[in-house]
Amino acid sequence: MRKSKTFSGGYRFINFEGQPKDTLEEVRVPLRVTIPLRQGFGAEGDCLVKAGEGVLAGQIIGHSEYGVSSPVHSSINGVVEEVKRVNYFKRDCLMVSIKGDGNPRYQKLPGAINNWESLAYEEIEKILYLSGVTALDREGIPTRMRSSIILPKEAKSLIVHGVGSEPYNISGELLLKGKNILNLIEGIKILRKIMPNARVFLALSSHSRKILEEIEKLTSAYDWLELYPLEPKYPQGYDEMLVATILKQKFPYGYSAANVGAVILNLQAVLLSYEAVVEGKPLIERTIALCGPAFKEPLHIKARIGTPLREAVEGRVKEGLSARFVLNGLLTGFELKDLNLPIDKTYSQIIGLVENRERKFLSFLNPGLKSDSYSNTFMAKLSPRIQKTCDTNKHGEERPCISCNYCEEVCPVGIIPHLLVKYVQCNILDETLMNLRVFNCIECGLCSYVCPSKIPLARQIREGQEKLTIQGCDRNQCILPYFDNLKGIEEYRGPKEL
Amino acid sequence: MKFLRQRLDNLRNLSQKNKLLAFLKPVINAADEIYFGTDKVTTLPHILDSMDIKRYMSLVIVALIPVALGAVYLWGLRVLAVIAVSYIFGGLVETIFAIARKKEIHEGFLVTGLLFPLILPPNVPLWMAALGVMFGVVFGKEVFGGTGRNIFNPAIVGRIFLSVAFPSAMTTSWLMPFNQGTGGFLKFSADAVSQATPLTAFRSERLIADFGNLFLGGSPGCIGETFRLGILIGGIFLIFAKISNWRLPLSALLSVVICAGIGNFFAPDKFAPALFQIFSGGLLLGAFFMLTDPVTGPFTRAGKWICGVLFGFLVVLIRGLSGYMEGVMFSLLLINVFSPLIDRLVLGVKYPKIKK
Repeated sequence: MRKSKTFSGGYRFINFEGQPKDTLEEVRVPLRVTIPLRQGFGAEGDCLVKAGEGVLAGQIIGHSEYGVSSPVHSSINGVVEEVKRVNYFKRDCLMVSIKGDGNPRYQKLPGAINNWESLAYEEIEKILYLSGVTALDREGIPTRMRSSIILPKEAKSLIVHGVGSEPYNISGELLLKGKNILNLIEGIKILRKIMPNARVFLALSSHSRKILEEIEKLTSAYDWLELYPLEPKYPQGYDEMLVATILKQKFPYGYSAANVGAVILNLQAVLLSYEAVVEGKPLIERTIALCGPAFKEPLHIKARIGTPLREAVEGRVKEGLSARFVLNGLLTGFELKDLNLPIDKTYSQIIGLVENRERKFLSFLNPGLKSDSYSNTFMAKLSPRIQKTCDTNKHGEERPCISCNYCEEVCPVGIIPHLLVKYVQCNILDETLMNLRVFNCIECGLCSYVCPSKIPLARQIREGQEKLTIQGCDRNQCILPYFDNLKGIEEYRGPKEL
Repeated sequence: MKFLRQRLDNLRNLSQKNKLLAFLKPVINAADEIYFGTDKVTTLPHILDSMDIKRYMSLVIVALIPVALGAVYLWGLRVLAVIAVSYIFGGLVETIFAIARKKEIHEGFLVTGLLFPLILPPNVPLWMAALGVMFGVVFGKEVFGGTGRNIFNPAIVGRIFLSVAFPSAMTTSWLMPFNQGTGGFLKFSADAVSQATPLTAFRSERLIADFGNLFLGGSPGCIGETFRLGILIGGIFLIFAKISNWRLPLSALLSVVICAGIGNFFAPDKFAPALFQIFSGGLLLGAFFMLTDPVTGPFTRAGKWICGVLFGFLVVLIRGLSGYMEGVMFSLLLINVFSPLIDRLVLGVKYPKIKK
């Protein structure tokens, strides 16, 4: 077994209460879905259906000829009710609502066969593109149909990762249960066929020994695949950190891994690619972890794309508490305020937190039997097996910075958050701030998490970036001079939306 | 608890705008915040670390408890009176400034209030302690804008003010500590027998004090600097709790060992041997509890190493070659002055100008 690798900085969230169990429940096929025509990155698709038109599950309803995008499918059989613009994740997005008949059948993709090796790579690309799988993850899977900002032959490395560095993660054990572990390897082979120039890396958490051993056994004959056990320290799952730890390469912060020729996919994206090519299954459903203390029984669900959130969480939340639902990451994720909005391709975890406004008596003196902290001042640090509570209380008053340097110690990209924030607060927005690499920030939010003075560092750094950009000192001036041949830079749509 | 909650709510109502106690708002809020945690919730990130500044500061106090208990044993119950005076008058200044500024009372003062009496001689007059802590808090901290913005350690500023203003009281009369039975736990004050501190004894008679005495506090010195076992326990506790950083104390002590070693080799009558220098005077207290003050010290890693080394060098230099017996105090002040500059230099190297 190889030694586990990691990066400097970061923080490992250990054993928060409400980790999802390795069970999978299928949510019944919903009778009404709303499908956003832009899911995750990429351009919005043109709507191909009209109200009143009948659609089949697996039929393409949104597709854009221009811009980087992948097709969007109807996830149920039924009739289109209405097509309208809705504010979705702070952006305007076209939504198709479909009234269904509850029948789980779906249309298979044309050309998919069991014996995929007999397919030409053009055919595989086409199937993947038509299945919509190419839209998964931050930059998707490149095909010649412009599903990513680079072309497949430009991909120099393919990183498949299931590190799980967030406080709550979708379980790798569940995703790779049974035959799926073989499917994963087949899936990687399929992707390798369309990206012939790519070196393949499989990064997994160094703590899931069983899976590592199994994969090591299965792949020992493949010299093209490198297995990387990584310490599951936040934010290891970020593209920026994966490129830094695995490829030992500088990352163009604020741009994407695809710009340096790296395609980064999570386990589920690879598994779904396999299902698309071999089983002909379009991307109409995916596995989502429901986790966190607000759920009665945290577990995984398989839900159709477009299922209203309410249907997915209904009956699973503990009664009599005010819950806050967060998408994907507790440090950076969106708060899901409107439960009528649908589940889309980008959902991987839905975390239910309890709003805790209770004022605890002498809270600063409590022994902290279940409190998580970066410092070693709580009893819970004594053993990693102690389950930690997780709520939305701020645990302290906002105070001036005392330069305790926690933020610098955890910063994964080696900037000094508290110093940057002092500049931003004093409105000293000039070259100094650029030289201190303010644009290297990857907005992982770890500095805000560890700050004992409860200063929202990550947000203020972002404000500083925005103010600098207005003044004409932008990201490009800081990042681009260090890179010669970034690919697809003109197609890049700017930093990821928060 | 319910009773307390009601009382505080009453007071908080009274401190609303245009009410009777409006001017006391910072005080009432501070009391409220001490007794009850916050009811605010997070925005982004959705979860926050359980650590806060109150805990941060109170753990420094916890780390100082062995030293304070040792001090009471060595010098008598009078030590408690000095600590009380320091807290009362330091707190008064802090409160007045908070009221004048209409800001919250910050917790940083909790540490200053305990640290300051520990660096005074055991027979210091109480009025002098009060004057020192008030001067220190005003000119070491508040004039710069309060906790987080001060460039000097307030305790050190107060101590230096006293040594300059009342040199005879601060440098010449030392007591012999209790060392038998219940020690000072049942007595008010040690007998006023003038004694030489180990550093003075070395300077005048080349005497090297017994290390057991130095380690356990059986030698004259300031209130909190002689029980060195307690200082080590507290300091190492803070390092393990991640509240203070190991780089500064380690580099400072290594630097003292090396500089004193070199000095002692070439001029043994001027420079005391390395190990003796480590275990005498206020070096350990300064290195573990004052040099590591995050606000006034350097924040870059390299800066910490450089400042630690510089500190050790200055301590040995002042002890060996100046008219003062002890150099820790002045070295700390100099390090406080230089650390922003050193940080700036380090940042210049760490973050070179962006390519054009």
